[in-house]
Amino acid sequence: MSSPIISLQHVSKTYRVSDRPLDSIRSVVFQMFTSGNMREIHALQDINIDIQRGEFIGLIGHNGSGKSTLLSLILGALRPDKGGELSVKGNVMMLSLGLGFDNHLTARENIYINGSLLGLSLKRIGQKFDEIIDFAELEDFVDTKVKFFSKGMRMRLAFAVGIHAETDILLIDEFFGGVGDQNFKEKSEAVFKDRLLEGKTIIFASHAMPILEQNADRVFLLNQGELIAGGPFEEVHEKYRELMKARREGRMGKK
Amino acid sequence: MLNNLLKPILESLPENNWLERLWMVSKVDFWKRYYNNKLGIVWAFLNPLLHFLIYYFFFTVVYQNKVEGFAFYLFSGMLFWQFFSEGTSQGISIYHTKIHLIQSIQIHKFDLNLASCLTAFYAFIFNFCVFLLIQMLFGPDFSWYILYLPLLMLNVFLIVLGVGSLLSALYLYVKDITHFWSIIIRAGFFTHPILFPKELILEHAPIAIYISPLVGILINLREVVVYAKPPDLGIMAFDLIYGIILAAIGYFVSQKVSYKVLEKL
Repeated sequence: MSSPIISLQHVSKTYRVSDRPLDSIRSVVFQMFTSGNMREIHALQDINIDIQRGEFIGLIGHNGSGKSTLLSLILGALRPDKGGELSVKGNVMMLSLGLGFDNHLTARENIYINGSLLGLSLKRIGQKFDEIIDFAELEDFVDTKVKFFSKGMRMRLAFAVGIHAETDILLIDEFFGGVGDQNFKEKSEAVFKDRLLEGKTIIFASHAMPILEQNADRVFLLNQGELIAGGPFEEVHEKYRELMKARREGRMGKK
Repeated sequence: MLNNLLKPILESLPENNWLERLWMVSKVDFWKRYYNNKLGIVWAFLNPLLHFLIYYFFFTVVYQNKVEGFAFYLFSGMLFWQFFSEGTSQGISIYHTKIHLIQSIQIHKFDLNLASCLTAFYAFIFNFCVFLLIQMLFGPDFSWYILYLPLLMLNVFLIVLGVGSLLSALYLYVKDITHFWSIIIRAGFFTHPILFPKELILEHAPIAIYISPLVGILINLREVVVYAKPPDLGIMAFDLIYGIILAAIGYFVSQKVSYKVLEKL
């Protein structure tokens, strides 16, 4: 087996948060003389994962279980606590709807800006341009300002640009929340079915179980920052359901 | 306009995503700043021009002064100061305004500082071109010493870049640095040789040249642009080195805080 493209060894992530906002000169000075109102939040604890090139990894867990923190670590936007080792080989990007379109610019201009941000050369974007527009089904609106676009149209555009980016590792955080109409939904699911993203390593954090069931090579389950299961979908999904049930009952019990 | 001007240059360069990315981010921000206004980019020039008229009126009519070629002296200094003030002020919260990029792509934080600096730099270059045009038509002596001008502009750019990235790193820890900085900028305007002649500084507080690199830059600027004299090369070299060191510190600090951005904002 070749060496893993992503490797996490004993990775933890702790946030130190204050109950009081610590962002003015007054409060920073004040903080120096008082202590004790800092709390530690263990967002991730001792995670060990190896991911091979080309794998499709599903990441599930309730909200706040550490999925987004894990993705941010892999992206390199956060650094793990001391003692943990994280190695990522290749470039990473997060496929999100939030990269931001500029309302005053046209779809064409936005494609160029976003494509460039996603690591495509302007030349390459030119070559892929028709493909992107075609995928987003926006042929008639190429030179329309994005401010006139519907929410669905924007999402289609964002998704189309995102999947055409050339990257080794693609992180997807809760992508499909009823994006677009039935047609587009089928199309975006086909992206995975037809392996349009073939060769890319994908980490998909989502509750979209059907997509995971069909595509994921392995699924990891996070609970309160701990990795509690990893393996084939059926196995992990079973655990996930048990966990959710336990949480529901736990909450009922409290009431 | 700017786009058409620079596009062929950009296309002739070898493919370089880093450069293209910088160009796209800074260009869009520049464009956005003036897009919503009827007069568009003219505002970039109108703003310092109107300020200039106010100060000019005050310091020639109300309060007499003896600076030679005062109009050009004042205006060239104000354009340089405006670049410094806009570049640093807009750079402070750059990690905040570009947080969506930090969350989704691998981008060096320093690149964001660089792009924000460039955005202000475009307006500065545009303004100075207009200024030079006016200067050639109505101004005092013109000389080839003006060829030092790009070096002076680069020098301010380095300073803005360095100070901007230091401030944006500080902003992660203390948000009210924005208010603090606007006071510093105001104080700087009246303590640098913008309104008053260089002699005032050279006689009373020559040490100022070594404290703020902008003092030396402003003095040299007027020598080459207004008085057709050679710049003081010693001060110029000092300021350039000062600028390079500032930019280098800014770079290292932005690397240092790079992982803190998502946690702090």
